[in-house]
Amino acid sequence: MTSISHHPGVGLRLPHLAEMVVTRPTAGWLEVHPENFLANPHAAELLTELSAHYPISLHTVGISVGSATGIDCLHLKRIRDFADRINPILVSGHLAWSAYKNEYINDLLPLPYTEEALRIVSAHVNQVQDGLGRPYLIENPASYLGFQSSTMRETDFLSELVQRTACQLLCDVSNVVVSAHNMDFDPYQYIDDFPAGAVREVHLGGYTPEADEATPSAELWIDTHAAPIAEPSWDLYVYALRRFGPRPTLIEWDNQLPSLPALMNEAAYANKIALEVGHAFAR
Amino acid sequence: MPSLAELQQQFREAVITGEVQRAAPAALIGGHEPSKRLAVHARNYETSLVEALLVKFPATGWLIGTPFLREAARRFVHEHPPQGPCIAEYGAGFPNFLSNLVRARLPYIRDFSELEWHVGQVAIAVNSPSVNAGEFSTIDAARLPDTTLKLQPGLRYLDLEWPVDDLLKLYLTETVPDQFELTRARAWIEVRGARGEFHLNRLDRGEFTFRKSISHGRSIGDAAEHALDVNSKFDPGQALAGLIAAGLITAINCGRLCTKNPGRS
Repeated sequence: MTSISHHPGVGLRLPHLAEMVVTRPTAGWLEVHPENFLANPHAAELLTELSAHYPISLHTVGISVGSATGIDCLHLKRIRDFADRINPILVSGHLAWSAYKNEYINDLLPLPYTEEALRIVSAHVNQVQDGLGRPYLIENPASYLGFQSSTMRETDFLSELVQRTACQLLCDVSNVVVSAHNMDFDPYQYIDDFPAGAVREVHLGGYTPEADEATPSAELWIDTHAAPIAEPSWDLYVYALRRFGPRPTLIEWDNQLPSLPALMNEAAYANKIALEVGHAFAR
Repeated sequence: MPSLAELQQQFREAVITGEVQRAAPAALIGGHEPSKRLAVHARNYETSLVEALLVKFPATGWLIGTPFLREAARRFVHEHPPQGPCIAEYGAGFPNFLSNLVRARLPYIRDFSELEWHVGQVAIAVNSPSVNAGEFSTIDAARLPDTTLKLQPGLRYLDLEWPVDDLLKLYLTETVPDQFELTRARAWIEVRGARGEFHLNRLDRGEFTFRKSISHGRSIGDAAEHALDVNSKFDPGQALAGLIAAGLITAINCGRLCTKNPGRS
């Protein structure tokens, strides 16, 4: 399927894949990490079957547009081949880096917001969009750390990236909540400053508070995708929808997975909120 | 101010080694002691990869104990970071690594964990349509020895020093015998799987050599010669018929050697 629904979608993870094929519950669309399917032909086969019934979005976790040592062209080619097979409605990735030379660090690591980083990320986003033959959406990160060397705010960096590459953006509202708490900024101001015209997708995911080793008696919020979506995220979601207008929204849950029906309930709740905000998402 | 490449090299060192305080880059922001937050990334790296390995080696965990396996995995991820972003492909080197840790106590651990690795790999394969016997009639019999065959993707051939397939079957059937003695003896195993299922077939050395050679792209004639080298009673015709009957051949490549309709190639 090639057109995206404004009814919220869900992140589809491997443990739910077979059940999804059998039960085919109502969902606006599905998002997968292609890296989980590239080396799993059986899962790819099942996803191909699902792609006849649901719009599919690809959310890459391994392209690493922020790597100073370059991006993996072979991996990019594999993603392109997979995208040609699945015909996704969207392809996205992260404003982060996760590869150093030929080593893959299995996490999304932060970037300083400098002119050098902007030049490198822009070049890689252009390379990715050329390689994929599709627009690429960049997602704002969940941050625990920043850099004194940064010369611009994250929203300025993203705005300039859009200008230089014509890429589109994925606004992860929960990441904004997490980063704002951890890095001490106003999440609502962040949404005000976010380049709204480039937003093509919104994410919501759960986070987990823990003790902040860096600051006595303070909490650090970790973007675990292992819990229900918290109230501050729902509140900011309402605000973001008012600013961005209706946008395809995805519920992300990666760890300590709930049952598939419970996941669908989170999507239904997002839809209810969207309707209350006044957008006819359910059409 | 360090370049982005220098900064990322420092991050890489801190996250992969886990020695966050020693390797943390300067001039970070976040809390009163920002370098301590780098531990979040180091933990994400370690935990995600260790869990991925534990999922791939449950039988090995059953054999050596999950706490020991977890500690071995923890050491492995710090010494051998992934070389690519598909974590499903990560861990092929773990059986050797594990063997170096416990070979003296469990000399068969490498064979056992390697067998488990390959079971995991073939179980996610997808079968292709197989060639039937009739399609071989398109090949001039005199040219058959020069023909190569493509086999199903979910096939692996393992020449093991220990018959660990017996041990794996205990795990799979949740059997707990009063006593189980594993005696060192070579075992030639064909691991076949697709779409969540797998089978372990113990072969005689000749048939194993023939099938493995075919799977490596050797011609039928070459493969038969290799098989005869290790077993003078090896019967190439019967072995080829066995491959066909088991549905293991997915394509025949006889190039320009075919004298009749070349069929699939």
